Amino acid sequence: MIIDPLIEWEALPLAVVLSSFVPGIAIMFLREDQQLLRNTLNLVGAVAKVLFVAFMLQGVALGGTYAWSLEVLPGLALTLEADALALLFVTLSAVLWLVTTLYAIGYLKDSPNRTRFFGFFSLCVTAATGLAMAGDLFTFVLFYEALTWTTYPLVVHNGTPEAVKAGRTYLVYTLGAGTILVVGAVLFQVTTGTVDFVPGGIVDPTAAAAQPVLYTTIFLFLLVGMGVKSAIFPIHGWLPTAMVAPAPVSALLHAVAVVKAGAFGVIRLIHSLFGIGVSWDLGVTTVVVVAAAFTIIYASVRALAQDDLKRILAFSTVSQLSYISLGVALLDPMAHVGGLVHLVHQGLMKITLFFCAGLLAQTLGVKTVSSMGGVARRMPLTMAAFTLGALGMIGLPPVAGFISKWYLGLGGLGADAPWILGVLLASSLLNAAYFLPVIRTAYFDERNADWRLPESLKGLEADWRLIVPTVITAALSLGVGLLAASDWSPLGWALLIVERGDL
Amino acid sequence: MGGMDVATSSAPALGLLIAAWGVPMALSLLWCSRFTRGVGLALAPWGAVPALALAIWALTRTELAEGEVLFADLPFLFTGVHLSLDLTGAIFLLFTSILWVAGGAFAARYHADDERRHPFFVLFVLTMAGNLGLVVAGDLLAFYLFFALMTFAAYGLVAHDRSDAALRAGRIYIILAILGELALLTGLISLGVAADGVPLFGSQMEGVWEILHEGHPTALPVLATGTLLALGFGVKAGLVPLHLWLPLAHPVAPTAASALLSGAMIKAGLLGWIRVLPAETSLPLLAGGFLVLGVFGAFYGVVCGVAQDDPKTVLAYSSVSQMGYMAMGTGLLLHDPELAPLALAAIGVYALHHGLAKGALFLSVGVADKVPGGPDPHRTEETASGPDRRGTWILTATSLPALALAGLPLTTGSLAKNTLKDGLAELGGTAYSILDPLLLVAAFGTTLLLARFLSTLARRRREALANQHSKSLAPAGKVVAANGGRAQGTHGLVLPWILLVGIGTTGVVWIPTLIPSPEAVALPAALDGWLVGLLPVLLGALVGWGLSVRPTVLGSLRTIRIPAGDALIPVEHGLGRLTLPSQEALVTRAEGWAARKMAQLSPVIRMADRWARGDIRSMEGVFLGSLVLGLALALAGLLLVP
Repeated sequence: MIIDPLIEWEALPLAVVLSSFVPGIAIMFLREDQQLLRNTLNLVGAVAKVLFVAFMLQGVALGGTYAWSLEVLPGLALTLEADALALLFVTLSAVLWLVTTLYAIGYLKDSPNRTRFFGFFSLCVTAATGLAMAGDLFTFVLFYEALTWTTYPLVVHNGTPEAVKAGRTYLVYTLGAGTILVVGAVLFQVTTGTVDFVPGGIVDPTAAAAQPVLYTTIFLFLLVGMGVKSAIFPIHGWLPTAMVAPAPVSALLHAVAVVKAGAFGVIRLIHSLFGIGVSWDLGVTTVVVVAAAFTIIYASVRALAQDDLKRILAFSTVSQLSYISLGVALLDPMAHVGGLVHLVHQGLMKITLFFCAGLLAQTLGVKTVSSMGGVARRMPLTMAAFTLGALGMIGLPPVAGFISKWYLGLGGLGADAPWILGVLLASSLLNAAYFLPVIRTAYFDERNADWRLPESLKGLEADWRLIVPTVITAALSLGVGLLAASDWSPLGWALLIVERGDL
Repeated sequence: MGGMDVATSSAPALGLLIAAWGVPMALSLLWCSRFTRGVGLALAPWGAVPALALAIWALTRTELAEGEVLFADLPFLFTGVHLSLDLTGAIFLLFTSILWVAGGAFAARYHADDERRHPFFVLFVLTMAGNLGLVVAGDLLAFYLFFALMTFAAYGLVAHDRSDAALRAGRIYIILAILGELALLTGLISLGVAADGVPLFGSQMEGVWEILHEGHPTALPVLATGTLLALGFGVKAGLVPLHLWLPLAHPVAPTAASALLSGAMIKAGLLGWIRVLPAETSLPLLAGGFLVLGVFGAFYGVVCGVAQDDPKTVLAYSSVSQMGYMAMGTGLLLHDPELAPLALAAIGVYALHHGLAKGALFLSVGVADKVPGGPDPHRTEETASGPDRRGTWILTATSLPALALAGLPLTTGSLAKNTLKDGLAELGGTAYSILDPLLLVAAFGTTLLLARFLSTLARRRREALANQHSKSLAPAGKVVAANGGRAQGTHGLVLPWILLVGIGTTGVVWIPTLIPSPEAVALPAALDGWLVGLLPVLLGALVGWGLSVRPTVLGSLRTIRIPAGDALIPVEHGLGRLTLPSQEALVTRAEGWAARKMAQLSPVIRMADRWARGDIRSMEGVFLGSLVLGLALALAGLLLVP
């Protein structure tokens, strides 16, 4: 078999990180009116990242891994390692970064401070991909903190008092979590003498059994550190508040990159550091499972009471994120598959929903459900995409969400925890209760708000740079479910991770 | 069910198994563009033709009656989709596709001037794809996939009118549908765990039930799984007390949609029962439940239905009642593996008969509404006052499927009922000695209900004519708009309806040929058999006629009115009083307070605040951030170095 030299290039992980870092820094030094150059840098970086990732996917599918390392301090190295698990997250980030960049260019076409925005936007993605490929806890923490700092300017981008307040809440939560995470990481290093991520865990079971209190404490420190970004109750409060950010930020960062960083951290914590066996023996997974189950229900109930579309989506994100933690914390391979695959599925569906919310706000000025009456006649493509995403969230086949729910359900029963099934069903029911009325309002109600009707029916319903990404992600949400049986689907990849023991 | 599954796969089978649902699915894509949606509108009514071709082609193959299963595999799709068609499936596919073609043709004319015809037909073809797809689905998840597609797309058909009543019906429909879907999903997951994958229908399915049965010392999991699946499909099949959506949805849905809901779609629940529930693992409790709820439903539908004034509501309750019979058949199927072939034949014939008859009856309501009175609708004075000859014809033709449903000898109804009765007789013992007289009374009730239908239909016809009359007295331009426009005349309505009546009425000849043992569905041989069939019908018709000519009798009988949706009304009333406690304000205040307090404590956050407001110039913020980050990392590094 002829293997492409690119597939064997060891520094591919670094290339992936740099493909957004370099444009990000370069953009910072551009003038506000150098639009063409800025957009070109952005898009070239995004396309390059997708290509690099595609090469790595092939290489890893053939059985290889990519590792790149740089010693920063004696005994402490910056390690990037792309195994199958890392690639699950990296691929998601890379593909969605590309479509969101296009969306953001269209969304912010008349807004100020775009240089700052796109600069930090690229740095954010750098942090997210770096964290995904972190080979040890040190590298992970580094990128995790960087993610906080690069996201903050995006949250407060509008500069309104409301945005400043939201930014403050954001920092309170994430800085607090960051500090706790660093303490946890230091404790881990001091106790175990290593911080490497190893499939199956690196903690010695006998040592953990000898000092259960110490290990439980370390686990909980790290869990709180990760839990804030993955918005587990009661440390989820920043996410709905952060919805004042522009739609592309909410879409990519608060539905995918930032929150998934937290969820991914929980996966690394349970599977690559402690190992699922040790975690179960310590009883700490029970904490994760119960907290996640509660979050799933609690956030859905909160979503019911909202009228602001983005806040509904935010609470829905809080709820759906906990599916991931729930899945990976259960002692059943099917549940792991469900949790892992939901990392991708939730991202695709939720980014679609946020894109739609942005489209409605930008094109018609519609931001609340109560003013959505009849918008489907004005924006059929947008609402078709929204409907797909929402039905997927409820878990209807063949949209992606069903696949996640099916495997989580299998895992719940397989792990002898039938109550998990009850949580999943209640969540579906609540999802239906807050998403279906939105769809009904948009399609079946009379127009009830003062948005302009199109002057003519020629052309698209909105800026093509907003429509195209939305249609792509909606198609992906459907496609990954419809072709779930394929090897290259997220499900196929999640099965590969679990079957290979890469978790 | 069980036994030998002889799976055969051939090119025409593969093509038709995919085209059956793929063609309507592809048609829905035509609405993606404004330029092709006109084509979609023209083709949508005929989307079920490939499915009809498949049904006819399959049923003409003798191998099918010998246990052959047509089979196609789409391993790349979804979780790996299997398509298959056995004899039962082919019978379901036959009436389902006939109804979709007839309903489509009817709807094409009915909605020709409807400003919402585009949304209607998109959802029409999607519902069609789901309904036809589930009939040819060969595994658990493929069935669920198509079932969900049909259920959710059909919401748009129910709520098409956008009136308050339609939206309410839609709401009740979707709530029950979701609860049903969730019950199904739970049951399916339970089977999925036992199967360690997705089982195919037939012997694999039976094997999974065996595993589930043997894997647990108590019967609880197997019973819970069976009950959840029975209830999940029961919502669709109108199993009392899950029938509540039926009498609300049918009157408000457009006529063609009602015909399809009652004729074809509720049978999807029935097919689900047959496909998924175990015939070989004995679940006596579940079988008993089906028998009891079936008998109860057969009566309950009659009692509620007789009290209705809208002919479509009467028909909806008639469907509830008739689905009771099919639930009895399912109970028989689950009761004893020995009786399974007989039970399957009975269910197949019953579903086929009921689907065709009920579809024709629903369409007759639309025909009675729209066909103008008299030879010339524009010569208004005479026609409005003169005898309504067309109306008489319509009522006469309508009474054919009505009598069939009532079970008059020499109709498809008597075939279906006799087959079912023969099966139930095999139960023997006390069960049958109770069932036998009950069935006689139920037959009387059914006739009474259909007499009620015909009298409400006649009244609706009179009202429709009066309406047309007053319309024609309006300015001439409006009359042209109402009667002219895109489609002249009402042949487009009458033709599909008459065709359906004809296919149903002649069914008594061709239906027995579809069954491997035609003697099982033969007409009763002895005279007393004929009498037993005839008597309740005559009695019911007599009483029904008496009540309709003396409405005061009925009026005094109905001192307690039963609203459409019966038991739902007190439930809705009760739920209306419940309000969710508002936690919103409290939570927001608590979060705000915590954020403010923490912000006061931290200089870093205050600095960030100023940067965000624009008090500090932009790059400084970045340096500030990097500084803090660098410090944190240096600290961490120092600690980490041993």
